Amino acid sequence: MFELFKNLGTWLTSGSQWAGQDGIAHRLGEHLQYSLLATLIAAAIGLPLGLLIGHTGKGAFVAINLASFGRALPTVGLVVLVFLAGGLSMLPVYVALVALAVPAIVTNTYAGMTAVDPDVKDAARGQGMRGHQVLLQVELPLALPLIMTGLRLALIQVVATATIAAYVSFGGLGRYVFDGLAQRDLVQVLGGAVLVAVVAVVLDLLLSSLQRFLFRHRTA
Amino acid sequence: MTIDWSWIGDHTDDLASLTLSHLQAAMTAVFFGLLISLPLAVVAHRVRPLRGFLLGLSNVLFTIPSIAIFVLLLPISGLTRTTTVIGLTVYTLVVLLRNTVEGLDSVPAKTKEAAKAMGTRPLRTLLTVELPLALPVIMAGVRIATVMSISLVSVATYIGDGGLGQLFTDGFQRDFPTPVIVGVVLTILLAVVADALLVALQYVLTPWRRRRA
Amino acid sequence: MNRRTLLGGLFAAASVPALAACSGGITSLNESSGSTAGGGSSKGGITIGTANFTENQVLGYLYAAVLQQAGVKVKVRPNLGTREIVIPALKAGDIDLLPEYQGALLNYLAPKDASAEPGTMQNALTLALPAGLQVLPYGQAADSDCFVVTRATARKYGLTSLADLAGQNGKLVIGAAPEVKKRRVGAVGLQEVYGVEFKEFKSLDSDGPLVKGALKKGDVDVANLFTTDTDIAANDWVVLTDPKNLIPSQHIVPLIADRKADDTVRKALARLGNVLTTDQLTQLNSQVDNDKKDPEDVAAAYAKQHGLA
Repeated sequence: MFELFKNLGTWLTSGSQWAGQDGIAHRLGEHLQYSLLATLIAAAIGLPLGLLIGHTGKGAFVAINLASFGRALPTVGLVVLVFLAGGLSMLPVYVALVALAVPAIVTNTYAGMTAVDPDVKDAARGQGMRGHQVLLQVELPLALPLIMTGLRLALIQVVATATIAAYVSFGGLGRYVFDGLAQRDLVQVLGGAVLVAVVAVVLDLLLSSLQRFLFRHRTA
Repeated sequence: MTIDWSWIGDHTDDLASLTLSHLQAAMTAVFFGLLISLPLAVVAHRVRPLRGFLLGLSNVLFTIPSIAIFVLLLPISGLTRTTTVIGLTVYTLVVLLRNTVEGLDSVPAKTKEAAKAMGTRPLRTLLTVELPLALPVIMAGVRIATVMSISLVSVATYIGDGGLGQLFTDGFQRDFPTPVIVGVVLTILLAVVADALLVALQYVLTPWRRRRA
Repeated sequence: MNRRTLLGGLFAAASVPALAACSGGITSLNESSGSTAGGGSSKGGITIGTANFTENQVLGYLYAAVLQQAGVKVKVRPNLGTREIVIPALKAGDIDLLPEYQGALLNYLAPKDASAEPGTMQNALTLALPAGLQVLPYGQAADSDCFVVTRATARKYGLTSLADLAGQNGKLVIGAAPEVKKRRVGAVGLQEVYGVEFKEFKSLDSDGPLVKGALKKGDVDVANLFTTDTDIAANDWVVLTDPKNLIPSQHIVPLIADRKADDTVRKALARLGNVLTTDQLTQLNSQVDNDKKDPEDVAAAYAKQHGLA
């Protein structure tokens, strides 16, 4: 075990490991691209859906149940299915990652919206605010902490799961994990895993600072 | 993409045994996850300084790709079901530990004081007062962990296990959609049924909550 | 007791209630640790492992069919992974028997060994194998790695042999399974023996949909396939010749743990080895890949048809 970690140090710090097509820098860039794009697409789907359900109170039962089935979707199966249906492209990977991220975003957005005190909403309406004004100026800001929790959870899961891109011949840090498995090169697998974990933790910290920045007025 | 229905008819036995094997992997992982989470949660609940460390650790473990965990376990437990179960157990911890701690936190201080005043010993209080009251939150965690594990088992197909996940690699290698579709549908069905059973179990385990519902 | 068995035992013991509740499936908790002294015995049953490509699964199920006929209890664990993963599992006792290929196995065990002829290779294998493992007599069927290009690529660059690839150094992309990057019959040997430098190595799969799809689409110029794949002829792909014999003889050979190798097993597998030809194996592969039949059914039907089961 000690040997493994010593070799990991060498692997992570050698210059040649960072350069070129199969270098860490390139793979890291690919991994970030896959993860961020998938999370953005998922947010574009999940946020409006969660806000709408939370605001109108309609379709909540269906949405929450769909979200929990969504959580049961096996990523490997989804990737293979879309691959067999549409051929080799990044589409299978993005479909699977988006399907993974949407449930967390929808449920947390919805939970954030329902947690808003009804009296506050009534007061806003009493002051003559329209439905969309209540949604954007009152409910959304109050629901934001839980919405951000959902986004952070989704992003962490997507970063860890984007590894699957390597199974269908693409890049990202998963390349090290799948190549390392095929070659039984555990140092490479560990290197890939550590890098994925670091990316997830760093992105999570960035989002949490963003969250704090957005709420700096509230605490003041 | 068409479904070859006769393939399904010819493989009902295989599908049944893969489904059972899939369920068994997921349930064993949740079982061990609970076994590990319960004592750790009690520690995290009582010893505040350790709380952040334990929850943080389970969060970090969650960021490691599951396939990497399976591969890194190969020198220790090889191509066995044990590898699958250890890997899955690691992932259940993030949900089970957090929910169990939150469940214990949710027990009103007054209730614990009352138990103490009646001369109940701490361990007894934990087992007969705190854990039962924390049960709804713990069970919510168990439900999420179960669904998550059922969805994750298939990743172990890369190390020759993976229950229904074997249908995915098989369909992939042969450019044959039917096993893949069947595998996805059965995985989701399994998750839905397991979740419903857990809801029923919770209903049985917490008779005092029924009137409120 | 090493850590491995201790840990396995711990989990096995602790998971008894959970396992008993739903037995069956493909559980394996190191049940095969009890070995017998001396010759070995197949009485307790044999677990056959197979690597992650079609033909190896066909062979695994063929082994299973003939062994079952001989009265041995068998279990097949399909699609376990690459040689790099499967052989350690054989050493550890997770599986007992593997369908292997002479040359590739020798390259894995002793990369410097230059044996090329099946008989000398068999001796070299016996010497190179770690304690506890042995190869049984090799069969007449063979399946080699090969490097193929499309007809168009062959024309464009004037490629007929692996040596011609060196004339296009830095221009061509090769597609193969990830492990081939580090194997001698792969990027390493092509560089050492023929001086070939590729523009890029693309990690794909073992004679599967990724590598064949990439070759068709033109995403890779050179693909590593197996000679027993009917798709090569069907697509009119060109197999590059190997004038310097980088790719060794690849007769199929059973690799087995000593503890399970008894006369029953030896006889049954030898009979199969004598009957099964390369052409027949190629057809069996095609039935699985193209006709979507189960490797298990294909193998059972073949064994029956040839009086092996």
